[in-house]
Amino acid sequence: MEINEGDDDEFGFSRNYFLAKELGGSAKKSTRKLSDIDLVDEQELRIAAANIEPKHEKEIDELMSSYKTLYPRWVFELRCGFGLLMYGFGSKKALIEDFASTALTEYSVIVINGYLQSINIKQVLIALAELVWNQLRTKRKNPSGNLSTGQQPFNSRSMDDLLAFLDEPQAEENDGFICIVVHNIDGPGLRDSETQQILARLASCSRIRIVASIDHVNATLLWDKKMVHTQFNWCWYHVPTFAAYKVEGMFFPLILANGNTGQGAKTAALVLLSLTPNAQSVFRVLAEYQLSHPDEEGMPVENLYTTCRERFLASSQVTLNSHLIEFKDHELVKTRRHSDGQDCLYIPLTAEALEKLLLEIS
Amino acid sequence: MTATKACDSASTAPESSANDNIQPFYLLHKASTPRNSGRKSAAARTIDLSPSKPSSSTTTTNPQFDPHKAFQSVWSRIDSAIKDVLRDVNTNVFNEIHSWVRQSFLAVTSSGVPTFAEATKSFPILNHATSKQLFTGLVLIKNMEFVDDLLTFEELGLFLKSHACHVANLSSLDLSTKNGVGGCLRSLLRQFLTVTLDAVDISILASWYREYGNPNSPVIIIVEDMERCSRSVLSDFILMLSEWVVKIPMILIMGVTTLDAPKTVLPSHVLQQLCPSKFTLGSPAERMDAVVEAALVRWCSGFSIGHKVAVFLRNYFLNHDGTLASFIRALKIACAQHFSIEPLSSVLGLLAEEDSEDERVLALSSGMAAQIDSNLASCLTELKRSQKCWGIVVMCLYKAGKYSKVQLLDLLCEALDPDIYKSIASDTRTRSGKGFEISSSSNHSMAQQYLRKDGPISQAIEKVRDLPASPLSQLLKSWENLTVDILEINVKVKELQPMIKLEEGKSLKQDFTDLAKRHTSRTAANIKESKTINEKAATLLANLVRDFMRPIECIPFHEIACFKDVEKLQSALTGDPRRRIQVDLLEFHEFLRCKCCSRSCNIPLQSMPDTSIMYTLAQEHGDLINLHDWFQSFKTIVMNPSSKCRRKGKQSSFPKKRKETNEHENKSESSLQARLCRAVTELQITGLIRMPSKRRPDFVQRVAFGL
Repeated sequence: MEINEGDDDEFGFSRNYFLAKELGGSAKKSTRKLSDIDLVDEQELRIAAANIEPKHEKEIDELMSSYKTLYPRWVFELRCGFGLLMYGFGSKKALIEDFASTALTEYSVIVINGYLQSINIKQVLIALAELVWNQLRTKRKNPSGNLSTGQQPFNSRSMDDLLAFLDEPQAEENDGFICIVVHNIDGPGLRDSETQQILARLASCSRIRIVASIDHVNATLLWDKKMVHTQFNWCWYHVPTFAAYKVEGMFFPLILANGNTGQGAKTAALVLLSLTPNAQSVFRVLAEYQLSHPDEEGMPVENLYTTCRERFLASSQVTLNSHLIEFKDHELVKTRRHSDGQDCLYIPLTAEALEKLLLEIS
Repeated sequence: MTATKACDSASTAPESSANDNIQPFYLLHKASTPRNSGRKSAAARTIDLSPSKPSSSTTTTNPQFDPHKAFQSVWSRIDSAIKDVLRDVNTNVFNEIHSWVRQSFLAVTSSGVPTFAEATKSFPILNHATSKQLFTGLVLIKNMEFVDDLLTFEELGLFLKSHACHVANLSSLDLSTKNGVGGCLRSLLRQFLTVTLDAVDISILASWYREYGNPNSPVIIIVEDMERCSRSVLSDFILMLSEWVVKIPMILIMGVTTLDAPKTVLPSHVLQQLCPSKFTLGSPAERMDAVVEAALVRWCSGFSIGHKVAVFLRNYFLNHDGTLASFIRALKIACAQHFSIEPLSSVLGLLAEEDSEDERVLALSSGMAAQIDSNLASCLTELKRSQKCWGIVVMCLYKAGKYSKVQLLDLLCEALDPDIYKSIASDTRTRSGKGFEISSSSNHSMAQQYLRKDGPISQAIEKVRDLPASPLSQLLKSWENLTVDILEINVKVKELQPMIKLEEGKSLKQDFTDLAKRHTSRTAANIKESKTINEKAATLLANLVRDFMRPIECIPFHEIACFKDVEKLQSALTGDPRRRIQVDLLEFHEFLRCKCCSRSCNIPLQSMPDTSIMYTLAQEHGDLINLHDWFQSFKTIVMNPSSKCRRKGKQSSFPKKRKETNEHENKSESSLQARLCRAVTELQITGLIRMPSKRRPDFVQRVAFGL
């Protein structure tokens, strides 16, 4: 029976996929452009984004507090040696931190913000090891605790040593663990397989428990069976909060502000205005050529040189090259190979953007 | 940023939460109470689900009432039982490997031991070509997944260590391109010398072996998952080992899924260095049966599962990934959930302790009975007794079913089904008027008519009917051993034994007199007689099923020991983020329960969360969504609260020219665009859409289709 259901699901899935493909293909694809919308300035957009009035605040609060009844179960499962994995739509940062600071007061808690771009996992391990070591030291004041004080400091030890230290069997109590909260364990800073391997090994350490959240629908692809069954040992919890991803989305580019014409032209204008008038004029030559020859790959370097010489903008190939290098460094100009083999220069902006830009620097 | 910095910032955590949001990591808080004092009472306070009076005296004198302690004691019993049986499954192979290791070691060292100076020189001097041969054990794993065999190789390492070998375990992670041969060496030295060195060289290992190693012990290197290793690194590693094998008696053991794996993975000049031997591990089905027997049929821990859970576990095993590891994990989650949900379950912790003292005592000790209600105690005694009988009958069935390849897990599912038992029991009562009476004369099909025709139980009983004499006698013997604790059953089985002996004697005589014509020489009477014995055995089994195989769910107070909540188990075991997150967005109303959006039927409303509106709109598009259109339809919905009815059914993304009331005009364009940006970012975080590419700057791509 279930196998059949599975087949149906599978079938439904593929059917949906092809329907969607068909819809995209047959129905005349909308050719409307973003630039048709009167887009507001990025600065303004960011301010507006920060002041969006939230919807359903009351209901969201109620939903969040309804999860409070689960806290004892979560603590119980952590103590039983499982990791907790929270998923569902909405930012779970506040929820997990509330859980950690109300129900896990007996345990030390370290928070990793996985939504950030760069996380040095080794620093996390060092901090954890120091924390464990301090705990052990305060616990065993009697000299019988044979902590080898002559050991290397943690920050010069290797990853393996740190993990081995965290995995040492606990002598008297097997309940004294440190809880690591990982917001967005599928986040950009933790997404590579090496970091996930380390996290998995960390999760399997006897002194560590992990509470993590995922938001990406395909997050499970990060883990293989060894990690899932023997290391992370997740207990899944579906806890949609519908809270806005405020912090998590902080570093995502705004779709209406990035990559569109206005933005490219604006940065280009800023760069150009800081260059010499001669350089600006060289750029203008290139831009005018591109606007008048929209179908060509770009302007051949030779052409540019002759035109510049004619207009007394560059006296030699060397001076022209120095300008071009400047342009390329700022990605104002790119080269590509013409069909007849010679190198062409072009400006990676749309015609409208280019016109706007020329207006701005004139 | 250093760790101390992180800790410093954490000390002022409450004020600087905004700052914490952009720290890669920080300390939220340190453990509040000093751990070495009052630990247990604190734990009991946090999760006080037990009905016992939480006075300080009970917590200290009777820690078992803490559900966590109860879980620990029960799970540790299940866990050790599982580990034991898995070890037993492997014992033969391990012994085989050990004797091979000894032989290889002799072969390696037979060419003479090099002097210390020779042995630690960084360049090996070779005497003759054959001495470069590296003895390699290929351990065949009968499972596509390595996860089930991680424990096996760990156990193998321990086993060999206990037989005076130096052992190091490597995995494919050590033999990866990133780590290179240096990485493997580092890992080896870590395991043998227990230090981490920056500069690694195999001569260090050689001098270590000379100085500290036991000269009578081989150095064994176990590579768990050979096929997942980097080819070049593994080749280099093997070449290096083979060059040093004269100086360090090294023996390699590799886990493989197919026997020709070395040929496909390694180049020929590396293969020449290997001197392979093959070993085969037990099959997954064999191990599964052993685990089910240890964990669920023999009532070793007191924890048990209901019929639905058993069926779910079986389907999960068969359809999900077929690994034992996932099955055991599922069982552990079930166990943990049982103790956190069921308040009386902590009594099981006591039961488990009780058991460890004396396996055969069926009654609860007076000490324990005093602690819990006497009524409950008697029920528990009954529960325990009945479970023991049930387990024995299931094992008897399994022993018979083995001849027709019945899997224990299937058998378990049927044996746990309360409906089958109820129908059998009610039927018996109406016919005989008595519930409990073994009457061998009763119609055997009576019990069977309620069992599934091709179900494992009827299969097992049928098999008994067709079994030839000598397997039948073995079967009866195994039954006798199984039932030794329960006198009533044991007597019945013993009654059959003399008959079978008689039968055996006859057939043996026949074997001697005329082996070739055995079948033809059998007299009709003989056949008839043996058939009656088969018949009697089958009837006995059927009666056992009828009288003793009471599924746990039919016994009062089974809730204490039996976990039945399939939904909870399923949701904890496998999240389904792909589906669930989409459902969250599309049917958010189920969770938020607001009044404003309740009327919506897949039509986006103004009051809905922006991301839900956007995702609902995205459903109308193909795999590409035009941003402009998307924005316009979003705008229409958000600006126009009453549009719902009129827009119904129309999927046009172009806003109709309509006289807008001016009340919403004050919603500035910028806030609208910002809301769209936020919604798109959130969809991007959930991975449901992909950002526009350079090639198609005006389109976002949908990633998920359908639920």
